[in-house]
Amino acid sequence: MSPQVAQLIKVTVFVAVLWVVSQVLDQYLNAYYLRVLVNCGIAGILALSLNLINGCAGQFSLGHAGFMAVGAYVSAGLTTVYPATEFLHSALGVGLAIGIGGIAAGVAGYLVGLPSLTLRGDYLAIVTLGFSEMIRVLFLNIQSLGGARGMYGIPTQSNFFWVYLWLGITFLVLWRLLKSFRGRAILALRDDEIASEAMGVNVSHYKVVSFAISALFAGVAGGLYAHYQGYIDPPSFDFNRSVMIVIMVVLGGMGSLSGAVLGAFLVTILPESLRVFEDFRLIIFPLLLIGMMLIRPKGLLGHREIWEFFKRGKT
Amino acid sequence: MSTPLLQVDGLGISFGGLKAVAGFNLDLEPGCLQGLIGPNGAGKTTVFNLLSGIYLADTGTFRLDGRELRGLNPEKISHQGIARTFQNIRIFQHLSVIENVLVGFHHKTRYSYLTTLLRTPAFFREEAEWVTQAQVLLERVGLAHRENEVARNLPYGDQRRLEIARALATGPKVLLLDEPAAGLNTTEKATLMSLIAKIRKDFAVAVLVIEHDMKLVMGICEKITVLDHGEVIAVGTPKEIQANPKVIEAYLGVA
Repeated sequence: MSPQVAQLIKVTVFVAVLWVVSQVLDQYLNAYYLRVLVNCGIAGILALSLNLINGCAGQFSLGHAGFMAVGAYVSAGLTTVYPATEFLHSALGVGLAIGIGGIAAGVAGYLVGLPSLTLRGDYLAIVTLGFSEMIRVLFLNIQSLGGARGMYGIPTQSNFFWVYLWLGITFLVLWRLLKSFRGRAILALRDDEIASEAMGVNVSHYKVVSFAISALFAGVAGGLYAHYQGYIDPPSFDFNRSVMIVIMVVLGGMGSLSGAVLGAFLVTILPESLRVFEDFRLIIFPLLLIGMMLIRPKGLLGHREIWEFFKRGKT
Repeated sequence: MSTPLLQVDGLGISFGGLKAVAGFNLDLEPGCLQGLIGPNGAGKTTVFNLLSGIYLADTGTFRLDGRELRGLNPEKISHQGIARTFQNIRIFQHLSVIENVLVGFHHKTRYSYLTTLLRTPAFFREEAEWVTQAQVLLERVGLAHRENEVARNLPYGDQRRLEIARALATGPKVLLLDEPAAGLNTTEKATLMSLIAKIRKDFAVAVLVIEHDMKLVMGICEKITVLDHGEVIAVGTPKEIQANPKVIEAYLGVA
């Protein structure tokens, strides 16, 4: 069997299984748990995409919520602001809108990536933070997009199936990218920028491309979020959210794709599972984070992928 | 004599008020193994940084095969055919040994983003081809048995050889080696130097090497350029250099 046919079969099986699981969960899981799971999936897409910039390319973005906001507002703007038609509220219409939102975010990512050509580390982090705050304030002042009141009545077409399908797509795209010569160039750039350049790698290209691809998926996550919640407002995309996404990536292990997803699930589920402690959960959660970082300073998985831990004798 | 492959003319750079390199001239013949020596701080590595585009020269020009390269960035210079290694090893630490070499093939790899995502037959075909070529290079520098190890975990000497393999992967006409034998013991040094001499023949590259061990330099180089305080003070065969009073003065001081 050729690898292409094997790929096609794998993808089909994945989608089919996902569809069945989503139907079962819809029927039998209580709404609260389902909501947490969907939030985990959205967080997973965000963490995976940020991992490309922070973990793989070795740049530092603190503005991921900004890209998410672009995707959320553009897609919700398309489906909600114009006179509602049946098409715009259908799954296909919403799906298209989310895609367009992702592309818009990708363009924003390209623009924000440009400063990364001259800035690095802390300085780049400040630029990206500035960008995301700018986006937030911009949406705060666009009255046709709800302004400070936020946007209501967004068609809630996104659900478990769509979120996890996109999580799968994000994972697959990033995995294949990283396992190609372009991915090796991105990782080389992280390890040693000067040496990469001297080996003929177009460093500028890969920095900007990392930002654009990463922002594209963050935008998709934003669109899925908007069409799941049915309501968005500028404070949903503030500095705190950017920081939470950074925490997911760092906790999971910089540069590890499965680590990013694991980090996203933990950071989303932990605060929920601590609800029994009421107000104290806001103290216990950070304590747990500190504890985990002390025990595993390189993140839970480090640079490795989760399945590498199950292969014996291989490190 | 044939026309020089690499022709450097009056290359100079200042940092603030300090003239690090001034009026540097060098002719590197095709297939030649040439040494660049000089006391600490003479500007040898600065010359390499100028030739690989990491620094932009204030004055002068350098041409490879008659093509002007000054002003190009490191990436473009590498495409033109100058590859280098670094004094303080700069391998890609978290990549595997073979991946390090594969990065060297980067600009020759052609498949598109779409091919990458769809993993069409072209993807597997091209990847397999480069992996084979990388294995050949690793074989040549004696690292074939370590291809899947994380580069960071290699012993020091192997890291230096990996850097050479990676530089060769870019398909250079000129190879700049910045103290390839630094930190190695005497036997390791001798092996490395014979490796360099062999590589130069097999890959038909001209090599410019910075090295402090005079015995080794004198032993393998056909021609030596001596640098002191950023200026060339002598050029010649090892014999001529050893007898040159200026060189002796630069190294030992005036009596």
